[in-house]
Amino acid sequence: MLLELKNVTRLYGTVIGVNDVTLSLAAGAHGLLGPNGAGKTTLLNLITGQLSPTIGSVRVLGMGSRSNPNLLRRIGYLPSTEGMYADVSALEWVTYLTRLQGFNAYEANGLALQALERVDLMEHMHRNISTYSRGMRQRTRLAQAIAHNPDLLILDEPFSGLDPIARHSMTSLLEGWIAEGRSLIIASHVLHEIESLTRSFLLLGSGRLLASGSTDDMNELLADVPSEVRIRVNKPRELAAELLRVGLVDAVKLIGTEDLSVSTALSAQLGRFLGKAVTEGEYAVSELHAVDDSLQNVFNSLMKIHRGSV
Amino acid sequence: MSVVDTRSPSGNAVFNLLAGTIQRIPPVVWFEWRRAFTVSRMAWMLSLMAFPPGLLLLVQMAARNDPRVEVISILIFILCACVVCMMSVFLWATPVLSSELEGRSWVYLAVRPYGPMAVLIGKYIVAVSWAIPVGLVSATLSVFVFPTEEPAHLIAVHGGLVLLSCLAYSALFLLIGVIAPKKCMVAGIIYTIIFEVAFAMIPAAVNMLTVQYRLRCLLIRWMEFDKALAERNPVFLSYFGDESSAWHVGVLLGMTLGYLIAAGIILRYREFTAAIETES
Repeated sequence: MLLELKNVTRLYGTVIGVNDVTLSLAAGAHGLLGPNGAGKTTLLNLITGQLSPTIGSVRVLGMGSRSNPNLLRRIGYLPSTEGMYADVSALEWVTYLTRLQGFNAYEANGLALQALERVDLMEHMHRNISTYSRGMRQRTRLAQAIAHNPDLLILDEPFSGLDPIARHSMTSLLEGWIAEGRSLIIASHVLHEIESLTRSFLLLGSGRLLASGSTDDMNELLADVPSEVRIRVNKPRELAAELLRVGLVDAVKLIGTEDLSVSTALSAQLGRFLGKAVTEGEYAVSELHAVDDSLQNVFNSLMKIHRGSV
Repeated sequence: MSVVDTRSPSGNAVFNLLAGTIQRIPPVVWFEWRRAFTVSRMAWMLSLMAFPPGLLLLVQMAARNDPRVEVISILIFILCACVVCMMSVFLWATPVLSSELEGRSWVYLAVRPYGPMAVLIGKYIVAVSWAIPVGLVSATLSVFVFPTEEPAHLIAVHGGLVLLSCLAYSALFLLIGVIAPKKCMVAGIIYTIIFEVAFAMIPAAVNMLTVQYRLRCLLIRWMEFDKALAERNPVFLSYFGDESSAWHVGVLLGMTLGYLIAAGIILRYREFTAAIETES
C-alpha cells in the first residue's frame, strides 16, 4: 500500500489543517486537488513526516511517517515554496541534497548529473541559482526530488508560476515518471494540470477529504447534481420560459441577446428536448455546451454537497 | 550504486541515528564552508581578528609603563576569548536554524534521512572552525603587542581558552537558536547579558552554570594567578573557586556536549515546518 491514513486530524492551535481524513492509496499516480487553504500542504507534510497528526495515524509505503529515515530514503519531495540557496549552482545544490540521502560524493555527483539531464538543465547547471528563470528553478527543485531515485515522488504545486512551455515540459517529465511505473502524488489547485497526468483524484476542501476516485466515479456520484449549460439560441427569453415551465431547469440566466445559461440536473432530458425543438423548427440553437465540464465542476459540486446546499 | 545502509534489523535507534548523522556531516561542512567564503564575511572576520591587537596597541601607546602580566593577560582574555570568540560564534551559530526557516530551505533538509541532525552538527563544526582561527590569530597578535617574559606560555593559555570558548559558546548559541528560532538573535543577546555577563560576576552557585565562570577560573589557574590573588585578598577566591583546571575543562566540555544533545533532542521532536503559512 502506498499510503494509509486513518482518522487523521491535524490542528495548529485552534485552526484545523486536516480534519478526520481516512484514505488508502495503492501504488500509482494520484492527484490531490483543492483550493488554496484546503489542507493540501498540511497533508503532504504529514505524509513526508514533517508533521505528526494530532489524532490518527499515517503510514507511507508501509512505514510510520514521522521523522522516519527509512521512509525518507524512499521518497522525493518538491515543496510549494522555493527556498533554494541563491549563491550555489544547481549541480552543487542537487549534489549536496543527494549526499544527505546517504550517497558518497562520487555517487551523489553522478545521480545529480542524471537528474539535471532529465530536467534538461545540463547547459546551465554550473551557473548560480540566482541567475535562473522561474522555470529553471522549478526544474532544479524537481531534480533534487528525483535525484536519489525515490519510489514515491511527492509534488506540491509543481506548475505554480510556470509559463506554458515550462508547464508542458514539466508535464512531459512527469508523464515519463508515471510511465516508468513509479508512484506520484501531485497536489494542485489547477485541475486541468493534473487531469492530463492521472485519473485518480483526492478532493480536499476545508481540511476534509470530500471525495476520492476516478473522474468517472465522481461523475457517477454527481449524476444528480445540477450543472451549468450555455445555450446560444434565437429566442432566449421564450426558451427560458418554456424550460422553466416543463421543469427541466432549476435556474436560468439571460446573457446578452442570444445566450442563455441554465442550471440543470437533467442534462440528458434537456438535450433531448432541445433536439426535438430544433427539429420541429421551434428554435434555432447555434451553440450548446456545458460551461464547466472539467474537474472544477466536480469539485464545485462536491463542495456544495459537503456544505449541504445540494 | 549503493547507499551506506545504517539500518540494523536489531534496530538500535541511537546507534543508527549517530551513524547516519556522522555519515552526513562531511557534506554539510564542505557545502557550508564553500558558501561561507564571501568577501563580506572575510572582511568581517578580519576586522574581528584585528580588533583586540589594535585596541591593545592603543592601550600600550597611552600607558606610561608596561603593564603587569596579570593586566595584559586579563585584557587579552576579555578581548579574545570573550569578545571575539563570543561574537564570532554568535553570528555563526545562533541563526543556524532561523536562516534555513526564513529562507524556506529547511524543508529540503528536513526530508533527508538524519538531515536535520547532520545540518545542526555540520553547521556547528563550521562555526567553530571559522571562529577558532580568528580567536587564535587575534590572541597571538595581542600577546606580541606587549613585551612579556614568556610569550609562548601566554599564547598557549589564551589559545586553550579561545578553543574552549568557541566550542562552548557555539554550542550554547546553537541551542538558543533551536529553542527560539524566530527571535534567536535577540534571545542570544539577552541570555548573554543576563547570564554570561551579569550572573557570571555574582559570587554564588548560579555563576558556576555559566561558561564565563569556567573560562575565568581556567585563566587564573593556568596563569597561576590564584596564589597571588589569595595572598592579596582571599575574597577573590570566591570568584574563581578552588576546583582543578581539569575539572573546569571537563565541565566546559560536558556543557558543550549537553547543549548539543539538548539542541539535537529539540530538533528531533519539535516541528519546524511552516505549513500553515505556506498553504497554497
